[in-house]
Amino acid sequence: MTILQVQSLIAGYEPGLSIVRGASIHAAEAEIVVILGPNGAGKSSLIKAIAGLVPITGGQVLLDGRDITTVPAHLKIRQGLAFVPQTENIFPLMTVEENLRVSGGILPRAEVGPRIEEIYQTFPDLARQRALMAGSLSGGQRQMLAVARALIVRPRVLMLDEPSAGLSPKLVEQVFARLTEIRRSGLTIVLVEQNARAALAIGDRAYVLVEGHEAHEGPAATLWNDPVIAELYLGQRRAS
Amino acid sequence: MSLQFLLNGLVNGSMIGLGAIGITLTYSILRFSNFAHGDFMAWGAYAALAVVGVLGGSTPLKPLSFGWPLMTALVVAMALTALLALVLDWLLFARLRARGQSIIVVMASFGASMALRNLLEFVFTSRPAYYSRAIQIAMPLGLGIKITADQIALLLLTVVLVTGMHLFVQRSQRGREMRAYSQNPALARVIGIDVDAVVRATWIIGAALACASGVMVGTLVQLRPLMGLDLLLPIFAAAILGGIGSIPGAVLGGLVIGLSEAAAVQVIGAEWRAAVAFVILMAVLLIRPMGLFGVAER
Amino acid sequence: MIDLLGYGAFFLSTALIFALITLGLNLQWGLTGLFNVGISGFVAIGAYASAILTTPATPDRIGGFGWPILLGWAAAALLTAAAAAFTGYATLRLKSDYLAITTFGVAVVVQLVALNAQVLTGGPFGVAFIPRPFAAVQADPVLFNFANLAVIAAVTGATFLALQRLSRSPWGRVLRALREDERAAIALGKSARSYRIQAFAVGGAVMGLAGAVQAHFIGFIAPDNYLPTLTFQVWAMLMVGGSGSNRGAVMGAIVVWAIWVGSGSLTSAIVPGDWQARAASLQIVAIGVMLCLILLWRPQGFFGARRRGA
Repeated sequence: MTILQVQSLIAGYEPGLSIVRGASIHAAEAEIVVILGPNGAGKSSLIKAIAGLVPITGGQVLLDGRDITTVPAHLKIRQGLAFVPQTENIFPLMTVEENLRVSGGILPRAEVGPRIEEIYQTFPDLARQRALMAGSLSGGQRQMLAVARALIVRPRVLMLDEPSAGLSPKLVEQVFARLTEIRRSGLTIVLVEQNARAALAIGDRAYVLVEGHEAHEGPAATLWNDPVIAELYLGQRRAS
Repeated sequence: MSLQFLLNGLVNGSMIGLGAIGITLTYSILRFSNFAHGDFMAWGAYAALAVVGVLGGSTPLKPLSFGWPLMTALVVAMALTALLALVLDWLLFARLRARGQSIIVVMASFGASMALRNLLEFVFTSRPAYYSRAIQIAMPLGLGIKITADQIALLLLTVVLVTGMHLFVQRSQRGREMRAYSQNPALARVIGIDVDAVVRATWIIGAALACASGVMVGTLVQLRPLMGLDLLLPIFAAAILGGIGSIPGAVLGGLVIGLSEAAAVQVIGAEWRAAVAFVILMAVLLIRPMGLFGVAER
Repeated sequence: MIDLLGYGAFFLSTALIFALITLGLNLQWGLTGLFNVGISGFVAIGAYASAILTTPATPDRIGGFGWPILLGWAAAALLTAAAAAFTGYATLRLKSDYLAITTFGVAVVVQLVALNAQVLTGGPFGVAFIPRPFAAVQADPVLFNFANLAVIAAVTGATFLALQRLSRSPWGRVLRALREDERAAIALGKSARSYRIQAFAVGGAVMGLAGAVQAHFIGFIAPDNYLPTLTFQVWAMLMVGGSGSNRGAVMGAIVVWAIWVGSGSLTSAIVPGDWQARAASLQIVAIGVMLCLILLWRPQGFFGARRRGA
């Protein structure tokens, strides 16, 4: 069943200069969808637009059949759409626990405490570091905190912008392994990645974005071996 | 040399510190230096005067110089000052903030400050006013220091307000949201923080504390339309000395400046008092611009 | 008729001195984007510097060096430039708000020195007997006023032309680039901070010169001339004229000064005596509201050039 449906989305920071040009993607319940593409293809802008951080000038975003295209960014999370930005995705001068607590603001007050304990069970490392300033965490731990923070309000869809950026291969593996675990709870994950190999390894389906719209779509398992995609995508990587 | 200046500095520093909390919050959350903040103090003080006038005089609660009317007036005036700040934000600051040039907002606050101050002068004239003419007997504390009942009451009020505010910002959900927003506005929106509510809370807290500070000045010294302008440099200096964004820093900065001013009055002379804040401000900017408790600008 | 002519010359002289200050502010704010809330302080530095240097010796005051007027003006500009440069040096590596707060402090401290350093500034009584350029023709008010106007117009005109050239020079282009896009300016390999300090100092020099010229035009200065209201008037002038444009700065100064004087004499004519002080407050309220309205609805001002404004 389709949870997130994006239709012919047009978005950009300045009028007349669209970065996302008619992109259409969709994601089903408990699916991991990977969005790949060369630098400047508009991958990051696409999910930022879905999250409400880049102005949308055309097209539609449907979540569970409801039109959330014009819902302001701070209300999207209430609709069940969570977003983890690529950088600066935690509050560095607050403790780990405060980061979780402030993110639980839209839950009923009595639920926040128990929900944080649940999160600590999924992320035992964070439980040990609950009193530490988030700014003092290592890169991998920060990424875990950012994900945990997004999960605290039980979203239907979790969108991540390059969670592997700046992490060692080992840490990338850990973060991605955690994402596949989380997916088992029925969460839909939309992943924008440069690290195509790692992302396709955990993904169900993938899109390749070129010049602001999707150029190819296919099952993650076969996409890596598709010669057309390899040429397009790897060619760009060689050039950059 | 009498040690009385220590007490005077402490009292004076409390008023500066209460004002500096508002400056530091507006700077770290709304991202501009509000030159109209001093005028919130003056408006708050005069609002309390007006409310006292409406409630009518009553016998003061000895040994204080004031009674229930002023205490009631303080609460009402804090609400009115908060309302003033919210209206000003809605009419002026919010519109300019939306355009994204923070220095234009600073300029608007400067224009608003001139207008507010002179409106006060228009209504109440520039003649000093007083909440009460009652004479206070100062009690000896030892070491040659004397304290009046009013001073004790207002120092206690400062402690209560500052502690309450610190707990609010540290422990309450809205307080956490305010801190989160000041650290990363974009992420704050992503996690569902209602930015408008954060902005409102910032104005309400800043203006209410400014009003309390103004009422303190009015009780211990006198009310003048220029009282806010005179305190503006000390409160800016206190907020920067304490480290922008830090509430304990703002209070401590206020105390340092209050004590330094009192010491300067003792040593150099009262006429140079206003220069103290400037000297401290320059020293901080040249030596440690992030202040005592600040973090480097991102 | 003669009276009116004399008054017209007097009015225009004052307006042109304001125009001079506004030109200095336009270099700082309009061209470079530096926010100065201590204009009155910088003008006062120039006025007192020239007054102290050029007045005849007085027993109870340091100074009274009897320098020629032009030398006093030059010294005033230099000293104010130095004060502005130091202010810029201390704050321009920090966020722009810190410059604003510090300039505000400069005005407070200058006011304090003017009031309290009696041996230097004469305290609340100020400095009198400042030599006036055409004291010889003082008996003929019309001639005297026009002679003064000619001098002031010459200084303002020369400054206008110099600033006009400066803003079109490579130096001016760097300042504009700095204002528009800091990254681009840094990429050019220019030291942004040093350029900004230079612009702030030159703007300060113009303000100091204006203060000096005014001191010699009136012949007497006192701390009351340099209250925050002055800063505020000059800002209103620049915003009405249109920041970024020297022509706008001059036009704004003349128009706002005309409004100020006109509304002032109107209130003194119709408002009863004991309400005059209050009416004067309302005048400032009106200008404050006007400044805010311009920021909201016409940030480019009214007389600026057609190219991009603020």
